[in-house]
Amino acid sequence: MGDEVYSQLMKELKEGKYVFTGELEPEKAGDVEEPIKAARELVGLVTACNVTDNPQSFAYVSSLAASYKIQQETGMECIYQLRCADRNRNALLSDILGAGVLGLRNILALTGDHVSLGDTPDAKPVYDLDSTTLIALIRKVVDEGKDLAGNEIHNPPKLHVGAAAAPGAAVLKAEIAKVKRKIKVGAEFIQTQVVYYPEVLDRFFKELGKVDIPVLVGIFPAKTYAQADFFDKYVAGVDVPPDYLQNMKATKQIKDKEKRKEEVDRVNIEFFTSFLEHLKDTPAAGCHIMAVGYPRIIPELKKVME
Amino acid sequence: MIAQEQKPIEEILGYLDGKRKIVAVGCGGCATFYHTGDKKAVKEMAERLRKEGKEVTEVILPLGVSACEIDMSSKFLEKNRKAIEDADAVLVMSCGDGVQVVCEYIDNKIGVTKPVVPANDALGLVGGGPTKFKETCQSCGQCELGKTAGICPLTSCGKGLMNGPCGGVREDGKCEVDPEKDCAWVKIYERMEKMGELDKFTEMRAPHAWSKAKRPRLFTIEEPVKPVRTILASLPSYLTLLGGPEYEMLMLF
Ligand code: SF4
Ligand code: SF4
Repeated sequence: MGDEVYSQLMKELKEGKYVFTGELEPEKAGDVEEPIKAARELVGLVTACNVTDNPQSFAYVSSLAASYKIQQETGMECIYQLRCADRNRNALLSDILGAGVLGLRNILALTGDHVSLGDTPDAKPVYDLDSTTLIALIRKVVDEGKDLAGNEIHNPPKLHVGAAAAPGAAVLKAEIAKVKRKIKVGAEFIQTQVVYYPEVLDRFFKELGKVDIPVLVGIFPAKTYAQADFFDKYVAGVDVPPDYLQNMKATKQIKDKEKRKEEVDRVNIEFFTSFLEHLKDTPAAGCHIMAVGYPRIIPELKKVME
Repeated sequence: MIAQEQKPIEEILGYLDGKRKIVAVGCGGCATFYHTGDKKAVKEMAERLRKEGKEVTEVILPLGVSACEIDMSSKFLEKNRKAIEDADAVLVMSCGDGVQVVCEYIDNKIGVTKPVVPANDALGLVGGGPTKFKETCQSCGQCELGKTAGICPLTSCGKGLMNGPCGGVREDGKCEVDPEKDCAWVKIYERMEKMGELDKFTEMRAPHAWSKAKRPRLFTIEEPVKPVRTILASLPSYLTLLGGPEYEMLMLF
């Protein structure tokens, strides 16, 4: 791993700037109008945006195509998410090389949810590689100009690779050992799964100890009660505090749309102000705000971190 | 052992639709353990098919005679050569291996080409017993157990990961893919921890070499072992007591 910096994200992280990243979700559609619209709203608010790759194993517009279009049309730098669930090592390599060709500079390497969680459970799951070996592959391609089998790659792409971490993992010690493994093979930054509890965050940083790559902590200000409830019920390793859930639920009673929006914002600002105040006292290098379709909350949250 | 369960009868009847003369072949190996090809299963199947107006010849293979081991099972097929020649279809009550081995024998040695259909669904290489079994190996051809504390990452991990656990481990340490099952990688971690080998856990294991799983595999051994023959020959009184096909088995060798 050299010291070269290919992306704005890495540049700011290396400079020690506090970095915010956002999240964009391509849909099951023949276009990427929605994520492009969302990206436009996030320009200037975040340094880069993750573009999800078939989250929860629902097949959507390719993250590679979406990342390229979003970056090209809005100027928003993308963090191209790449999962092992749907592709073998050859397909992954093709997409890594393709990403370089299309001017993408950051990849978040993920194992990916199992297809049985998705909308097409009869699909064949692949997992030829896992997040660790995918990171190793990307590093080998970028640093040595070779693939896993040692084949030469002419004019290798310039890419940074990040890894995910789950601070709320049920068996934290195994998760920590895995995160360290991913750092060892060359991950350059970490973006965590959503955290709601300061204690969960503290325990994670304590167990992780000192690491020499930046960690961006994931937060999820929900735009609706349904979003928060979904996270609580269906996302592994994420517990949403009952008080927050309760307050979000109460907003459903408000008939007036504008008033409801205001109350949702108030609940989020109140909850996340205290969370972000706590975040300031942790080694986090930034914050990954997964507020999909909810850009108006971001300036409010950023104020807390100023 | 190859675990298996009988297919829904409607599916079997679908394969046998329009076929009147049926030969039902059992299996004295794994299918006997899983009650999918033992004497009772063959008899019950025959009764069921007779109710559908079919004429059924039962070919029961005694305990120890697996359908897939053609050297032995062929003796029973040969005894029913006429019925097979006349049959409209042969129903094999074993795993898919037995079905194909019997099919090949009928094609090449009995010299007739017949529909040969499966009665069971094979469910993998399992261990355990006497009533609970777990799939633990998928015969990948390049065993990784030496790197994973003796727990197969390809079979026991729901995603077949070489470097788990994934982010989906449930609250209670169960697997993302199936809440009934333990996360294999948490188990691997715990075993390594107990053995003082956690340094191995944080080492990256290379991606699995799937080149070793090119299919179909062909395999040759230098000299055939004759365990079943030896065992059977040494237990004449037991076999005589059982009578029936087991006794016939003894007479054959
Ligand atoms: S790695 Fe797993 S599937 Fe392969 S031989 Fe070993 S136990 Fe069997
Ligand atoms: S939860 Fe554990 S066993 Fe299940 S897929 Fe993930 S790593 Fe594998």
